[in-house]
Amino acid sequence: MIEIKNLVKEYNGIRAVDNLCLNIDGGEIYGLLGPNGAGKSTTILMLTGLIMPTSGECLIDGTEVSKNPIEVKKKIGYMPEDVGFYSNLSAYENLEYFARLYGIPEKELQDRTDELLKQVGLYGVEKTVGGYSKGMRQRLGIAKAQLNDPSIIILDEPTANLDPQGVADYRSIIKQIAKLDKTVLVSSHILSEISKVSTKIGILQKGRLIREGTWEELSSDIENKDLPEIRINVETKVPMPQFNHPEIISADYKNDDKTAAIVAKSDIRDEISGILYKNNVILKNLSLDATTLEDAILTYYSEEVPEL
Amino acid sequence: MKSNGLIVISKKEFRDHIKSKKFLIIFSIIMIATITGMVGGAVDYNKQIQNYAEQMAVSEDTSMFSSYWWTKPSVMTIFNNVGTIVASLGAILGIAMGFDLITREKESKSLKILLSHPIYRDEVINGKAIGGTFALILALIITFVISMALLLIFSIVPDITEVQYILLFGISAFLMIFSYFAISLFMSTVAENSGNALIYTLIIFIVLTGLFPMLISGSIITVLAGDAPEPPDTLIMRSYSTAYVSASVTVSDSGEISEKSESDPYDTEEWRNYEEESMKYWQKRQAISDFFNLLSPTNNFQYISSYLTYPQMYKNMYISNSIFVEDGADEPEKTSIFDVLGDLMKNIIALIAFPIVFFGLAYVKFMRMDVR
Repeated sequence: MIEIKNLVKEYNGIRAVDNLCLNIDGGEIYGLLGPNGAGKSTTILMLTGLIMPTSGECLIDGTEVSKNPIEVKKKIGYMPEDVGFYSNLSAYENLEYFARLYGIPEKELQDRTDELLKQVGLYGVEKTVGGYSKGMRQRLGIAKAQLNDPSIIILDEPTANLDPQGVADYRSIIKQIAKLDKTVLVSSHILSEISKVSTKIGILQKGRLIREGTWEELSSDIENKDLPEIRINVETKVPMPQFNHPEIISADYKNDDKTAAIVAKSDIRDEISGILYKNNVILKNLSLDATTLEDAILTYYSEEVPEL
Repeated sequence: MKSNGLIVISKKEFRDHIKSKKFLIIFSIIMIATITGMVGGAVDYNKQIQNYAEQMAVSEDTSMFSSYWWTKPSVMTIFNNVGTIVASLGAILGIAMGFDLITREKESKSLKILLSHPIYRDEVINGKAIGGTFALILALIITFVISMALLLIFSIVPDITEVQYILLFGISAFLMIFSYFAISLFMSTVAENSGNALIYTLIIFIVLTGLFPMLISGSIITVLAGDAPEPPDTLIMRSYSTAYVSASVTVSDSGEISEKSESDPYDTEEWRNYEEESMKYWQKRQAISDFFNLLSPTNNFQYISSYLTYPQMYKNMYISNSIFVEDGADEPEKTSIFDVLGDLMKNIIALIAFPIVFFGLAYVKFMRMDVR
């Protein structure tokens, strides 16, 4: 479905993507994981025909992107990291405009647009996109990416800057898309997002694919390895309950149990959030300390995998 | 590969323009100024027509009709009143329409998503230009219709030649405004944000409308052309019985030819050399002036506007020294549109070239733009 062969992209002599080879099968939800600057967005821009590779090739359904970008763009749906819309238009008007660019017949246009707006929970929202929150824009971006009923959907950092509710909404939408047997490529620097939605994960570091496999395979690689601990900061408006979770190594409660510094083996923010929700505790802040699981895993792989 | 991007983008851009507040506000100001100018011009024109009729009656009685200024006033005098307004506000309209066309897409991050659709990149820039062009044409058609309606309200019915002049005036106004639209569109592709694009465009606008006229009319043209040649000393001492009209042009001699004698100081080698040098000097000065005029859409438009108002005068007078002489006592015929087009060809070509050059630059820049 998606085939990347020896892909190279250089900017002013610096390699953003370095001899990348990748194969994504049909119906797969492929997570491209890597820190900022790893080359994820550059790879996606080449896949979508927005920039030309320095060398190598990208094939979408057997069609080479650089030779026939228009044909490829008809087959894919794309949502960039910093998704932008026309702020003076409503969600419907934006989608209507883009639908016309896809050449969707006028009689199908309204049904298609309404259906997608319902899917992302924006149906009936009359205000212009200028008044949308980041999360609403992201949801609209996901709707836009499905407008042409593409066989391949490419989402670049879809959860960037989303609040927990937005992330939950995004996951729900991706699960719906997965049921439609579409191929999805998701890039992110957040492991929890990638691991929860992807059937296969590729780890990108300095423009190279350093490891690829299912989450289970990647997890087994690092099992029993001496990974850095994960530090999670929790802040609530009312006293929080004591957490009892097998991944927790230690928990330090302060300020009348309204703040806690938790040291854990893995990123258990979702679980903490769930516990607090069940106990009706209003959350003020839930964040990872400087050393995150993503950093830990990426550091591990970059050390483990020899230079290509 | 067929793509309908051009039509879709053009339609959206056209809709965006005619719905945008800045377009509506500036266009409303132009409309108000045009209506005011037209009404004032129409009142003046009717007075001129009345004066003309009176002069005609007097001249028939006394056979005094010999002055150029007694020719029938042209309807174009009314439009000339509006020309100054169109030159300044029209340029602002063109700039306002174009300065953020690309930067706004970059700022709102919509450019990347737009280009991810199955459209060619040139359809985006072409669509924006076409949408803007149609919005401008619509604005000018509305202005034209209202102007014609006002003429009819004041019982002024232009003849076919005047209608042709009015159309040429409208086309020139469109080309002038479109020139600034193309300049601002180019700046929008070059600049990082809309603020910078506006500043760059305003700098160009000020240079073209403020600096160039200064170069033409000020002492700078003297610096470029040098000092005018001095007349021979023998002439300075002489009391003149003749009128020097222009060093570069003709001299109207009030005396009889037969009165000329060998001692006539104008019939000397020295004088002929002076005349020749003067002619060359003023031609050089005129060439520099024309060159700077051609580089400014505003000046080109204003020149065309003035020419269309007084085509006979422009045809008959020697413009180089801003002094004219009479050329015949009969009332001149109306200059045909073909003669006018011939005389204004270089100005019209310059007005066409301006948007082509800047749109070409915008096109090349946009096609090479990095969409990271």
